[in-house]
Amino acid sequence: MNRNPYMRLALRRAALRTVVNTVIVLFALAPIAWGVVSSLKPANQILEVPPRFIPQDVTLEHYERVIGDKGLLFLGNSALVSAITIVFALTIGSIAAYAIARYEFSGRRILMIFTIGVMSIPIASLLIPTFTLLSVVGLINTHVGLILLYTAYQLPIVIWMLYGYFLSLPIEVEQAARIDGHTALGTLRRVVLPLSKPALVAAALFVLVFSWNDFVVAVTMTSSESVRTFPVAVYFYLGFYGREWGPLLASAVISIIPITAIFIILQRYFISGLTGGGVKG
Amino acid sequence: MFSSEKFTPYRLVGLAVLVELGFVIIPLVIGFWYSVNRVQFFQIRGFTGLENYWRVLNSPSVANALTVTIAFSVISLFLTFVIGFGLAMWLERSNRLNGVMQAVVLIPYMIAMLVGSMLLKWVFSKESGLSDLALAPMGMGDVSILANPDSAMAALVYNAVWRDSAFAMIMLLAGLKSIPAHLQMAARVDGASAWYRFRRITLPLLQVPIFITVVRLFIHLVNTLTYPLILTGGGPGTSTETVVLKMYRLGFNDNVLGQANALAIMVFIVNIALVALLLRLFKKAGKIQ
Repeated sequence: MNRNPYMRLALRRAALRTVVNTVIVLFALAPIAWGVVSSLKPANQILEVPPRFIPQDVTLEHYERVIGDKGLLFLGNSALVSAITIVFALTIGSIAAYAIARYEFSGRRILMIFTIGVMSIPIASLLIPTFTLLSVVGLINTHVGLILLYTAYQLPIVIWMLYGYFLSLPIEVEQAARIDGHTALGTLRRVVLPLSKPALVAAALFVLVFSWNDFVVAVTMTSSESVRTFPVAVYFYLGFYGREWGPLLASAVISIIPITAIFIILQRYFISGLTGGGVKG
Repeated sequence: MFSSEKFTPYRLVGLAVLVELGFVIIPLVIGFWYSVNRVQFFQIRGFTGLENYWRVLNSPSVANALTVTIAFSVISLFLTFVIGFGLAMWLERSNRLNGVMQAVVLIPYMIAMLVGSMLLKWVFSKESGLSDLALAPMGMGDVSILANPDSAMAALVYNAVWRDSAFAMIMLLAGLKSIPAHLQMAARVDGASAWYRFRRITLPLLQVPIFITVVRLFIHLVNTLTYPLILTGGGPGTSTETVVLKMYRLGFNDNVLGQANALAIMVFIVNIALVALLLRLFKKAGKIQ
């Protein structure tokens, strides 16, 4: 064995590092991995006792069943709602954030406080009255209603993230653009937004994660299959298939795949947004 | 800066204000109005003042939900924070491996809450066979985790810790990054131990981020709906029925909208109090100018 004490210490540290990191990976990913493995087993092997961690036979039958059972429609609905919400939230949000970052006006502070307030209040306490409101104005069970709600819930975080970023931009370029005769909106579109790509990506990712994953709002505000988003469909599989874990877990995995892929590609933007301190934080 | 244009800022924020007014403020007003009326199947049957509040406050099932929520949020808050802090300290140094590890920890956080809880339901369910495998050596092979009040609560806490420690980790990592590196270095040169540096440099300088993390986590936890709705269904019995799940059921299963809204307004007031606390912290951190 190695008799150099420094070498032994380094080795011991490396071993400790590996062990702790392995525990962390297992803690975070084991439930997901177990879901993936189970979803790939044929129906008669899922409930096998004792359970096998490596499936005997691998099958995609549960995935085919979920996709065949209007799965594509629900995925399409989710994609549509998420995409339009991103456009709405980023457009309205960047304009408002620009005003808060670059203008001094009475009501500005109240607006900022309101922004942080709505950002921090979970929507659950608004569910029931919102359901009532949407029923009254005829937006219940529509994509438009869902998109408008998601926009309202995500606007504050978008404003907050973009506001922080706009503040960090040099103001001189904007002043020059204004002297050249651009309006406030023109300056925002031609000068500020092209400089703000990281913040825009972070904000878009945030809105995407929310609207792709939301289940509580969607399950409350929609009822018919034609407008159903994928997470609601997953919830209905829970009731519909009852004890049939195969299709249920397959639908869970289908929901995870696209969002995880996008997250891995854009991870650093997501992290900077989460801290709420703007992208620079 | 562009202060000569008096009305421009109002025009710019107009649309955002309109959306928030329509879908956040108006629902609140409606909720409040319903909460002081007797409501049957969405029809208002007359003003009742605070009767709905009175009923909700005197209902044993709401009292139970309150106890459940407090127990769940306090235990989850503690564990989530400690584990998140540990992860932040462990993965603080920026290098490739730590970046990958942070992403791994974040995956349970960014997949849908519904899906996460469903995956854990499968892990904890008797049918998956995992609990038998794990508990049999301790002579508890016949125990079903989700069928026993205490272990169901433990499963619920596990769900929160599993998903939300990532949030605590990221918030605290941002705080750790803002501590100037030369402080730690100087203390090191002076021969301060790791524990001493943690207590005398890291903790004091991390005070505000720690408070912000704790408050934001707590707000999230007291409003938990998805975890109990999916993982335990509030059961066995009502042993894991949280306040917001109770509210959801009052509104959508029992159709007593007046009471549901009264409970919603009370939850909202608690939230406002917590947010006010958060705002003070934000101000302390210099984030509102």
